[in-house]
Amino acid sequence: MTTHKSEVLVIGGGIQGSSTAYHLAKRGVSVRVLEKDTVSRHASGVNAGGVRLLGRNLAEVELSKTAMERWQQLDDELDADTGFRARSLINIAADETDMETLRSREQQMHELGYFHEVMLDQHELRERLPHVAQHCIGGVVSEQDGYAIPFHSTQAFRIAAERIGAIFCEGEQVQSIRKVGDSWLVATETQKYQAEHLVNCAGAWADLISVMIGDNVPMSYSAPMLMITARMPHFATPVVGAVSRPLSFKQFENGTVLIGGGAKGFADRANNTTRLDYSLLASGAHHAIEFFPIMKTACINRMWSGLEAYMPDNLPVIGKSIRADKAYHAFAFSAHGFQLGPVIGEVLADLITEGESRFDLEPFRVNRYERKVL
Amino acid sequence: MINNIETPSINNSYDIAIIGAGPAGMSAAITATKAGARVVVLDDKPRSGGQIYRNVDASPLAKPTVLGADYLKGSEITAAFKRCSAEHISSVNVWHAGDNGELLFSLEGETQRLTARQIIVATGAMERPFPIPGWHLPGVMSAGSAQVMLKSDGLVRDGAVFAGTGPLLYLIVAQYLRLGVKVKALVDTTPKQNYLSSMSEITGAMSAPRMLIKGLGLMNEIRKSDTKVYRFAEGLEIQGEEACKGLSFSISGSKHEIVTEHVFLHQGVIPNLNMTQALGLKHTWCEQQLCWTPETDNWGQSSQGVIAVAGDSSGIVGAESAAAMGRICALRQLVNIGLITEQQADHEAADDLRFMRKQQHFRRFIDRLYRPLDQHRKPTNDQTVVCRCEERTVKDLKQGFALGGREPNQLKSQTRCGMGPCQGRMCGHTVSELLAEWRNEPVADVGYYRLRSPMRLVTLQELSRFTNLTPVSTVDRASSGTSDSDVEANKEQELAQ
Repeated sequence: MTTHKSEVLVIGGGIQGSSTAYHLAKRGVSVRVLEKDTVSRHASGVNAGGVRLLGRNLAEVELSKTAMERWQQLDDELDADTGFRARSLINIAADETDMETLRSREQQMHELGYFHEVMLDQHELRERLPHVAQHCIGGVVSEQDGYAIPFHSTQAFRIAAERIGAIFCEGEQVQSIRKVGDSWLVATETQKYQAEHLVNCAGAWADLISVMIGDNVPMSYSAPMLMITARMPHFATPVVGAVSRPLSFKQFENGTVLIGGGAKGFADRANNTTRLDYSLLASGAHHAIEFFPIMKTACINRMWSGLEAYMPDNLPVIGKSIRADKAYHAFAFSAHGFQLGPVIGEVLADLITEGESRFDLEPFRVNRYERKVL
Repeated sequence: MINNIETPSINNSYDIAIIGAGPAGMSAAITATKAGARVVVLDDKPRSGGQIYRNVDASPLAKPTVLGADYLKGSEITAAFKRCSAEHISSVNVWHAGDNGELLFSLEGETQRLTARQIIVATGAMERPFPIPGWHLPGVMSAGSAQVMLKSDGLVRDGAVFAGTGPLLYLIVAQYLRLGVKVKALVDTTPKQNYLSSMSEITGAMSAPRMLIKGLGLMNEIRKSDTKVYRFAEGLEIQGEEACKGLSFSISGSKHEIVTEHVFLHQGVIPNLNMTQALGLKHTWCEQQLCWTPETDNWGQSSQGVIAVAGDSSGIVGAESAAAMGRICALRQLVNIGLITEQQADHEAADDLRFMRKQQHFRRFIDRLYRPLDQHRKPTNDQTVVCRCEERTVKDLKQGFALGGREPNQLKSQTRCGMGPCQGRMCGHTVSELLAEWRNEPVADVGYYRLRSPMRLVTLQELSRFTNLTPVSTVDRASSGTSDSDVEANKEQELAQ
């Protein structure tokens, strides 16, 4: 049997893996992506599509800001339609406690020199969201934020990468990984692959790949749920979130409204599937109506969830393997990795071709939980 | 203090929940309640009877006899159903069924939840999509909807053209004629070769002579009228830009066009798949009926332990077989919950099982004879709409296919085909068959949409109000032996004997 050789082997055909392949191919590196199902089959294809800089954990702000710059040009760069629309994102404050939370966040951000989050008073909020409920007293906005169509965005990276030489192999589930000499040897059910560098972008299955590489990681996985309505009259331009309620929605140009909020269903990773928790979706519906009474009569058309990976601190793992040379990780984005996709590919390409990244990756190291009691 | 812990009760759960009150659902309920099971039947129509016996005991027509003797016979089963002790919840849309026995449905603006130990899906059939140019235009409807209008509201369309193939098409034309409604034309697309190829199954068809005679009788009735009948038509196209202006077709190479504002299309029925698919049951492609069907054994048992599928939703069987299947499914589930023994079930199901085997021969004949034309199932014209909800054409799908949408779910993500409110009902089969053709692979390898609840649209307000529904009659059977462990005990006893 022939062994397929490339300089880099990426495991996982989600947005991180596809973006990594694109950036490597752009630098003339030969790269192959192994995807156990089909490209963007899981979280990368079915997430809420939020392109969000607002409210980022401080460790992620720099990465997220750079990613946001990339998103503004991404369609041109990839010569594709990712569906990206900069519509702004507003987090709504429902009471004085929420406003207090926002004020202390604002102070903290200003001290660090970040000014992209701008507070809104009740009047400004209502101007931007005329249909918001009376009891909402303010909020915070990030103007550059918006949404994209996740399946199209991930496919855009894949197609652009293929155009410049990257190879995507679908239906190839990794069964074993060995390091022999300076080479990584990866076997699937029917094929063998060899590469100098190995990248783990395996999403909800990344802990299993990690273990094969030699890094233990306390990753978990879950099934965040979403629902989308049939078309309704236009009532909200910005993407909407809430400071302290599990609410998040966006109205697309075709009038459909995508409602998220982080409620989780049940993940069945072994069977590639999820089960929904309808009572939690019911409380999500309740919050949506509470903030936007106009949504009372909105008709839910579909409900679904995807398999997503989480770390205990809700921060991703990004960076070099600790135990093995020339292996790299980018996974467990904890339900906010989609926006980072364009920059993560750059970071991994830098690590592989330059040996380092210009971003501080310390908070994301794979062994940050070693010796900690969880 | 273990002694103080109460034994958890299953009294707030139903034994069997049946979805659909057509022949299959009603007969399942009658059989199950007779054995003492707590049964709930949920149905989306105001009255029991399903599509076939819709409004049979409340017809808006002055002379319901025009609808035929087979229709009127339905009042026997609806009457028996009303007498049985099953709780009948009508006019509700079950929008979620889970393989854990959970059902969610909207009732009076709220979401109701109930649990059942076993579920029988009897959601019936729907008409096969007829994707030809212009089929989405106003003025074009299905023959089935013509019948719904007639049975529910006594409404008819004068001067309409009926086109396609299959028994239901001839039946509704005959019903129109009996009512004295003018039918402009019947355009029959049953190809010549079907008459030849179905002859090999004619001996099988003889096993059900009554059905055969009924079919021939309908055709005679239509021929005797002054309705223009075109046979062996192909290449059907609806004319018109904004609305239907006519129907064009060809017969052995010569073109015909009929001017009309009302066309009723029909080319057979297929199982209503949304619930069985959303339940995650295993499905297979049935080449004989050209549709996906849930995998079931002779007892209607699906690939998921607590779910059975009866009637046309398991594959098209017709009303009488559906009723037989309903009884068989119920007997199996009564064994599952320990209300009867396997021997009892075997004994009571014997006649029905025999009847169904016999009917299969007749079904093969019918399926062969009325097999719809490839060109009317797999559209080739770029402008033909495949997905009506999102208005996606053959051309859009070809583009999506070229961009990597090789199976239905990828194609859906790529093009939005199948994302609309009908949940892919109207395009699912077309997409499976088109992709199989483009990939040059069997339909079975292409697959179908991965479906999810809700199976019907549900408003945010309905979803946000969530209550539990428990049986009205909480029969205490804790002592009379109905728990699943008792089933095991029964089995052990049987083995001992």
